[in-house]
Amino acid sequence: VEDNEADAFLIEEAIKMANLPVFLHVARNGEQATQFFDRADRSQDAPCPAVVILDINLPRKPGFEVLRHLRASKRCHDAHVIVVSTSNSPAERGQMADLGANDYFQKPSEFHNFMKLGDLVRSALDGHK
Amino acid sequence: MTAAGNMSALSDFVAGGDLKDRVFRDMVEALPVAIYTTDAEGRLTWFNNAAVRLSGRVPQLGTDRWCIAWKIFLPDGAPLPHDRCSMAAALRGEEIPNGIEFIGERPDGTRFWFSPCPAVVRDSEDRIVGGINLLVDITDRKKAGTEAAEQFRAIVETTPECVKIIARDGTLLFMNQPGLTMVGAKRPEDVIGANIYKLIAPEHRARFETMNERVCRGEKAAFEFDIIGLQGIRRQMETHAAPLHQTGGVTVQLALTRDVTQRKRAERAAQLLGAIVDSSDDAIVSKNLDGIITTWNAAAERLFGYTADEAVGQSVTMLIPEDRPDEEPRILARLRRGERVDHFETIRRRKDGTLVDVSLTISPVKDASGTVVGASKIGRDISERKRAERAIQALNQQLTVDLAAMTRMQQLSTRMMQAGDFPELLRETLSSAIAIADADMGNIQLLEDGVLRIAAHQGLDKQFLDFFQTVRPGEAVSGTVLDRYSRVIVEDIASSPIFAGKPSLGLMLGAGIRAVHSTPLVSRGGQVLGVLSMHYRVPHRPAERDLRLLDILARQTADLIERKRAETALLASEARFRQLADTMPQMVWAAQPDGFIDYYNERWYDFTGCDRYLFGDQSWEQTLDPEDLPRVRRAYYDAIESGEPYNIEYRLWDRREQRMRWFVGRALPVRDTRGRVVKWFGTCTDIDEQKRVEEDLRRANQDLEQFAFSASHDLQEPLRSIKIYSELLTTRYGDQLDGDARKFIGYVCGGATRMETLVRDLLAYTQTTKPDGSIELTAAGEALEYARTALAGVITESEARITADRLPTLPVHPTHLQQLFQNLVGNAVKYRTLGRVPEIHVTAEPLKGHWMFSVSDNGIGIDPAYKETIFGLFKRLHTNDEYSGTGIGLAICQRIVERYHGRIWVESEPGRGSTFRFTLPG
Repeated sequence: VEDNEADAFLIEEAIKMANLPVFLHVARNGEQATQFFDRADRSQDAPCPAVVILDINLPRKPGFEVLRHLRASKRCHDAHVIVVSTSNSPAERGQMADLGANDYFQKPSEFHNFMKLGDLVRSALDGHK
Repeated sequence: MTAAGNMSALSDFVAGGDLKDRVFRDMVEALPVAIYTTDAEGRLTWFNNAAVRLSGRVPQLGTDRWCIAWKIFLPDGAPLPHDRCSMAAALRGEEIPNGIEFIGERPDGTRFWFSPCPAVVRDSEDRIVGGINLLVDITDRKKAGTEAAEQFRAIVETTPECVKIIARDGTLLFMNQPGLTMVGAKRPEDVIGANIYKLIAPEHRARFETMNERVCRGEKAAFEFDIIGLQGIRRQMETHAAPLHQTGGVTVQLALTRDVTQRKRAERAAQLLGAIVDSSDDAIVSKNLDGIITTWNAAAERLFGYTADEAVGQSVTMLIPEDRPDEEPRILARLRRGERVDHFETIRRRKDGTLVDVSLTISPVKDASGTVVGASKIGRDISERKRAERAIQALNQQLTVDLAAMTRMQQLSTRMMQAGDFPELLRETLSSAIAIADADMGNIQLLEDGVLRIAAHQGLDKQFLDFFQTVRPGEAVSGTVLDRYSRVIVEDIASSPIFAGKPSLGLMLGAGIRAVHSTPLVSRGGQVLGVLSMHYRVPHRPAERDLRLLDILARQTADLIERKRAETALLASEARFRQLADTMPQMVWAAQPDGFIDYYNERWYDFTGCDRYLFGDQSWEQTLDPEDLPRVRRAYYDAIESGEPYNIEYRLWDRREQRMRWFVGRALPVRDTRGRVVKWFGTCTDIDEQKRVEEDLRRANQDLEQFAFSASHDLQEPLRSIKIYSELLTTRYGDQLDGDARKFIGYVCGGATRMETLVRDLLAYTQTTKPDGSIELTAAGEALEYARTALAGVITESEARITADRLPTLPVHPTHLQQLFQNLVGNAVKYRTLGRVPEIHVTAEPLKGHWMFSVSDNGIGIDPAYKETIFGLFKRLHTNDEYSGTGIGLAICQRIVERYHGRIWVESEPGRGSTFRFTLPG
């Protein structure tokens, strides 16, 4: 879930570069994300996420609300959540961890560092299986 | 011829033959004495005519035994059997005493008294073979004795006293009727024949027995004893006893006994009375109606000094003082009327002429017929009592005087406590003092500017007042008091060294003063405030008591003066205070100790528009912001209660601007010398502007921090995108770009990196003010090590040598210490002198309560002109080309240090190096 197109691209790049066998769905704001979860709850055919990469500063619905919604979802509640954020604020980290976030990834300013997000997604998928 | 000789001749005669000799027989027959003989068994063998005449019968020879008498009785009348008669006894070989007497009875009943003279006849072998007896008729003699006895009986029966005869063994043989009455016997048989000893009181019994025996041995005796009669009544007896020889040689006691019970009782009463009279502490004197003394006891001697010999026979008037001539006649007149004089208190004169207070009780003495014949007088010495009475009276008078003085002082002190005209109070005090000290004149002087000035006076003339208008220490009596710091007493001015040879002597005497004493009026603080002087017209030594009372009065007066001065001072200071307060730009108020506000200055009325007559502890409440009211009220009354000053901020209604304004209210208690709050003074200072600036500043700071925080976050994101995509552009499309394009992309990237640093530093700057919760202890050495690690790149590059002393542990957040070291060490490395190995040394030295850290380098140094500027935000001395930087590092350092109330500064010599110093709490 990422509103910033530039960052969404970088996340896609990281997953691509990590060569992971996944479908990537991108929600551009909080509302799209919760609707995605609700769809999964309503229909068995709808996709249910294994890993959710969640930005905190989102339009419409902030990250913590999306996370809360996810954890309340019937089918998606056990998804592995990686919080991504520009800030390294301990308060923010703590709040998300309390709501059930599994990992926290501070967006780096270097391309190769950003690509390390792919490794994090891989180990999340490994853990989820 | 004795009887014994006769008997012997008779015996011989009888033994010698059968009385055949007629002549002898006839002769014997003719003897007027009855004679008879018996055989050994007592059988009558012979008798003469006289025997027939005496016995009144013809004795029967061979039949009668032992005696010829028809019947025989003992003298007491008891019958005596014939075989117990003296003849029978003699035949049995018993000795028969001479002179024993018996009574014989004839057959016709007549009786005769006889005295037997039996003798036994023995044979040659000394065996009793018979007896011969002569019976001498003693009836005539006995008759004569009986007459005497009759006479005796007559006497005995008529005497009122007890006549008794007691046998040696105590048997009462005889007692007359009065005697019987005395012992309580109704009939003679009750006691006669019984032992008398049992009637004698037990304690006298042994003595009585001894007496009885002695009398029965022939002595006469007179003695007293008690009897306890048959009816159990004790009586006292006095007896005169004599031996009474009875026929037969028996001696008994004849006693004449008198009942002396009454007499003894009277004697005892008299003795008792005498003892009482003699031992009495009261003088007891009796006199006859002519006033002549008849008795005089020991106490009378002690009281009046005359002995009994001297007094008895004299007239009682010798005891009466001349100034009471009619006293005795009046007493005598009353006595003659039979009246008694009770507790009559008067004065009598002793032998030595001194007078004595006496209390007299005089009773008439009457004879048996009730006629007054004299008087008994009981006198008691009441001098002691009189003295005590006089002492009590004197004491009472003294107490009355004291009470009056005390009452007066009490009233005075009450008056003093009330507000009043001070000179008038002093005059009253003086007048009281004069009354108490019994003085004639007096004055009170007050000590002002080192001299005594008369403040109140009484009875002193103008000349005196003029002369002593002011008195300096050492002058006159009151001035001497100042010197000595204690009371001065001059009993006589004429002989006092204080006045000797001084003009004041003449003046004093001229004013009619002979004595004076002056008492200092000393404040509670020990300061002499004035002098109280008492003057007398005659030489006078003041009584201790008067001086004590004056001491009390002096103390009260000193209090009065002190209070008066304090009031005056207070009034003056209050006036000064109001004058000052009214010109003050602050609002000022004053309150009484209980919090009642009794003054507001002009500024208060000006600001609040309050009623000028509105006072009291709630007078400010309407002006106060209702939100602040409970808090202010609590603070106000807490202060009043505790006496502690307060300092509180609140809002008051500004009627001009129609809004609340902030004020700081302060109140201070004013205490007297004893520490009691006497006044509260308070101010209300307008701090509205200050408050608003503070508020604005706080808000600005908050806004700034909020801005800086969000800016740093929000700014970082696009920068990150610029950087990453510039990088991506270079790596992925580098070969499609020409040199310029690559250079431009490099600028974009460099700018973004610098911007990123700037934003990060700005974030760090804003975060230093964020509260952190509890502060842990941080080891400065570790923080330095952390900074060194963070700076590892530049340090290695510059080959800088970083050394440190032993660094302390202190209560500062670790991040803050790290930031400090990172910035300061980083700067030291950054601003190094080219061609010189940077040497950086860190030290810490303890100061009072905190530490001073120093970071010294050998770098380029800082121009002193900029030593303040460098700590400003974004302030830089160099271009980015020379030294890269954001201009935030030192600002962060300053912010951190100031957060801990420390200070940071720099000491530098350009070209030689700089030392940054900062202080942190220890």
